[in-house]
Parts: sequence; structure tokens; C-alpha cells
Amino acid sequence: MVLLRSFIPTLGMLLLAAGQAGAQGVLIDRSEIRFVSKQMGVNVEGRFRKWKANIVFLPKNPGASKADLEIDLGSIDLASDEAETEIRRPLWFDTTKFPVAKFVSSAVRDTGVDKYEVQGALTIKGVTRDAVVPITVRKDAAGNSVAEGSFALKRLDFKVGEGEWADTETVANEVLVRVRMVLPPVK
Amino acid sequence: MTRAGPTVEPRYTRTAIVLHWLIAALIVAGFMLGLSMVGLPLSRQKLQWYAWHKWIGITVFLLSCVRLAWRWWHPVPPAPTAMPLWQVRAARVVHGLLYALLLVIPLTGWLFSSASGVQVVYLGLFPLPDLLPKDRALATIFRACHVSLNFTLLALVCMHAAAAVKHHFVDGDPVLTRMLPAAILKPPR
Repeated sequence: MVLLRSFIPTLGMLLLAAGQAGAQGVLIDRSEIRFVSKQMGVNVEGRFRKWKANIVFLPKNPGASKADLEIDLGSIDLASDEAETEIRRPLWFDTTKFPVAKFVSSAVRDTGVDKYEVQGALTIKGVTRDAVVPITVRKDAAGNSVAEGSFALKRLDFKVGEGEWADTETVANEVLVRVRMVLPPVK
Repeated sequence: MTRAGPTVEPRYTRTAIVLHWLIAALIVAGFMLGLSMVGLPLSRQKLQWYAWHKWIGITVFLLSCVRLAWRWWHPVPPAPTAMPLWQVRAARVVHGLLYALLLVIPLTGWLFSSASGVQVVYLGLFPLPDLLPKDRALATIFRACHVSLNFTLLALVCMHAAAAVKHHFVDGDPVLTRMLPAAILKPPR
């Protein structure tokens, strides 16, 4: 299993997922927003410690489902304090001016058995781009719905890493974002 | 201890000598690089130096495995018979610790990197498996291990080198010269 982890493909930055019916909320301790970027050809993992999600997931009515997320960019967990300080600076996230990233879903589509596609608008550093996140939903032993998905975003689309950091040989443009949202069963 | 005729002093094999000095050079380079790179501001250069440092560490680990295997099949020359027993024992302990650190230090570096969420890609070509999931608390622990073991290694290397010099100049025995390349030892006639 040790081997498996290293072959997880490059991940990225933000993400979202779908939840269950009602305003049941997300089991935040068991959910996560992770990403993998590539620095000089090396996969570097990170995650966000603080984020909020408002998810309504209706398996039988995906059209009425939605997923809105707000990610506290300053809560990023990287390899070192130094990297975390750096990424808050204006050339990267500029968290003073743009403290949160947002994803607002516009449509959730059923794409197969337990598979869905969440379309929405992703806003980072004042730039909004369309994003499509394919997700897979399964039930865990406790009856929670576990929605997992990943998508790649291009950091330069969002002006993340400007100036000397725009060089994609040093930090790849593509960032793979992996999201897992655990939603309690509907009462 | 006087010998009747000119006897050939037992020397280390050429392979053992090459491995010894190659590893010595690499650990000096890796150590200096490690000390310098941590203070660099985050930059492409810093990432490059970290990569080189890791490549050196993995190389030391691999060469040390080869060296131990070689040593298994080619026993080292015996200690000079005039050497006091405590010195023989001390040398054995220090050599054992040096070998252990040559293997353990790169591993702690690898663990530190894995726990930091940073993959190790040997020579930029071969991705090594992450030994641990990303965990900042563990990363801090492995960093401390990596740093303190390196300073332990520094102390042991100093003892090792000081002992070699003492053997050569004070005891006048071949403990140092038998590990030197033969070419250096040939006096110009």
C-alpha cells in the first residue's frame, strides 16, 4: 500500500462534492480537500484545514442537488511553514486581498451507477472559471454517503504563482484537486 | 612484531577503497548542501538543492548497501596486533555506528520528505514510494531525527578521521595507508 500512494497522479487545488438530501451538513472531520502539485517534477501534497460546505445531494434528483464550498486559503497545509507563508503572498494566493476560494455548483448530473458530474464556477484570487468535477458516491458502513472526486485545474488561469513563479518548469501549471465529502444519512 | 622480510601489508581491496572515499565525498557534499539549502529563500534554486541533497542521500544509502555486501564477502584486514584491545573494540563500535548512520540517515530524510508530503524522485527519474502519508507532526519529528543524526555522524566522522591520523603519525601503523589508493602511496623514486 506504500507503493500505491506514490503513484497517485498529480493533484491540484480546490474541490467540491455532492452531499445528501436536506441541510444535513458535511462530516467535516472525515471529509477533505487535498491537492497535489508538481514541483521540479516531484509530487507535493497539500490540503486545506478550514473550509465550509453547503451540500444538498439527492441521488434520485440530481438536478435539485447542489454543492457550494468556501475554502479558507490561508488554512493551507503544505510541506513547511516557509511554503505556507510564501503561498499566502501576493504572487500566489494573496490571501490578504483574496482570503477565500469559492465553488458554486450550477448543475449536478447523473452520469452512471453511483457516478455524478458536478458543474460549477470556481473562483480563486478574483478569477472565476468553470469547473467540472466527476464524483463517485458510495455508502459507508454507517450509512453515510461518501462522495469522492478529483479534477485538474491550471493555477495560471487563476494567477496563482506569478512573476518568478509563473515558470511551469519549477511548479507545474496543472494542480490535481481531490475532494472527499462525507454526508450523514438523511433522517 | 618485527617481521623477517618485506611482507605485503594487508590492504583493503580496491573496491572497498573506492567505495569508502566515494561515500566520504558524498556525505561531505550532502552535509554541506543540507546546511546551506535550509537557509535559502524559497526559490527554484532551493528546490533544486533539496533535490540534489536527496539524490546524494539515496546514493549514499545504495552505495553503503553495496559496501556492506562487499565487506561480507571480502573481510577487512585485521587490526594491527600491537593495537590495545580497547582501541580495537572502540574502532569496531565506531565503524558499526558509521555504517548504521549511512543507512539510517537517508531513511530519516526520506521519511521526513514523505511526512512533509513531498515525494522523492531519485535523479529526477525514479519516483520512490512515499513511506508515510503527509503528517506535519511526524515531519517535525523526522526532521529532528535527521538533523541530530547528521551531527552525530559528524562527530563520529571526526573521531574516525582523528584516529586514522593518530594511527599514521603516532602509532606508525598501516591503518590509514591501507585505506588510501595505492597510487597515492607510491613514493616518487
